[in-house]
Amino acid sequence: MKDLLRLKTSLNEEIEAILNAQIKMEAHASSVYLAMSAWCDDQGYDASATFFSEQSEEERKHMMKLFNYVNDRGGKAISPEITNIPADFESFRSVFEEMLEQEMHVTQQFNIIADKCIKLKDFVTFQFIQWFLEEQIEEEYVARRILEMFDVIGEEGMGRWEIDKHIPKVKYEG
Amino acid sequence: MVCPLANFEEVFKTEHGAVYQCSRQNCYWLDFAGATTAFKVNDFFNFKKRIDAIDLSAMIIDPSRTADFTIVMPFRTPRCYVLDINGVLNLRELLDGAKFMIELNSVVSACLQVTSHGA
Ligand SMILES: [Fe+2]
Ligand SMILES: [Fe+2]
Repeated sequence: MKDLLRLKTSLNEEIEAILNAQIKMEAHASSVYLAMSAWCDDQGYDASATFFSEQSEEERKHMMKLFNYVNDRGGKAISPEITNIPADFESFRSVFEEMLEQEMHVTQQFNIIADKCIKLKDFVTFQFIQWFLEEQIEEEYVARRILEMFDVIGEEGMGRWEIDKHIPKVKYEG
Repeated sequence: MVCPLANFEEVFKTEHGAVYQCSRQNCYWLDFAGATTAFKVNDFFNFKKRIDAIDLSAMIIDPSRTADFTIVMPFRTPRCYVLDINGVLNLRELLDGAKFMIELNSVVSACLQVTSHGA
């Protein structure tokens, strides 16, 4: 019997599902960063507000990269529904703690995807995922570096103002 | 009615219906509840997902009369399926079997390709 399935898509059903879940996660991350941007702006942390708005854009690009991949491989990308975005945060520091937690969670998800690709022998998707795994090194590094500034600079007095001013300078050199 | 020029093969059959593949038009024909309907490959699998997503326990618990039936109108087909709980179960059994056979066929062709290229 003619194989109609492979004519339509090269993506295994499980891989398609896990990539669609990741599309949703990137969209969620994008929205959370936008919420953090608004909060920082409201609290007077201007540089951090800009930083998070840029992070939000990046996450949307990650989402679109996955979205286009699923479609290009004959799968069907699903435009995600995003709910449960916080509007308030405990403190300036906690915003960055949540950022690090979120990024670590994303890294873990990509590890799971990579593992699934190997189990299902989908080396094309495995190769595609490499870019994201590498990107996560930078994302986690930046979040950790910023959190360290809270200890190095200290939050007392002008501390938080100083930390905010230094946020744009945190870069991963690789 | 199945298309007259069809080159179709049986994919899976139960006592309640059957699924055929038309390799000329690259589609599947679902013969169920007294009529035959053509689905494109992705529409067929989306249809299966919709049938799998029907909440049977909600249908059982809900005492209102409308809850005894569920209506599924797949896009790009002229059909409207009015299913009671038995209908849902019968359709699921048929679609599950068909999906298994379609995937099995795909795996077998992939294996045969590997062997023929290796030889
Ligand atoms: Fe991301
Ligand atoms: Fe990220």
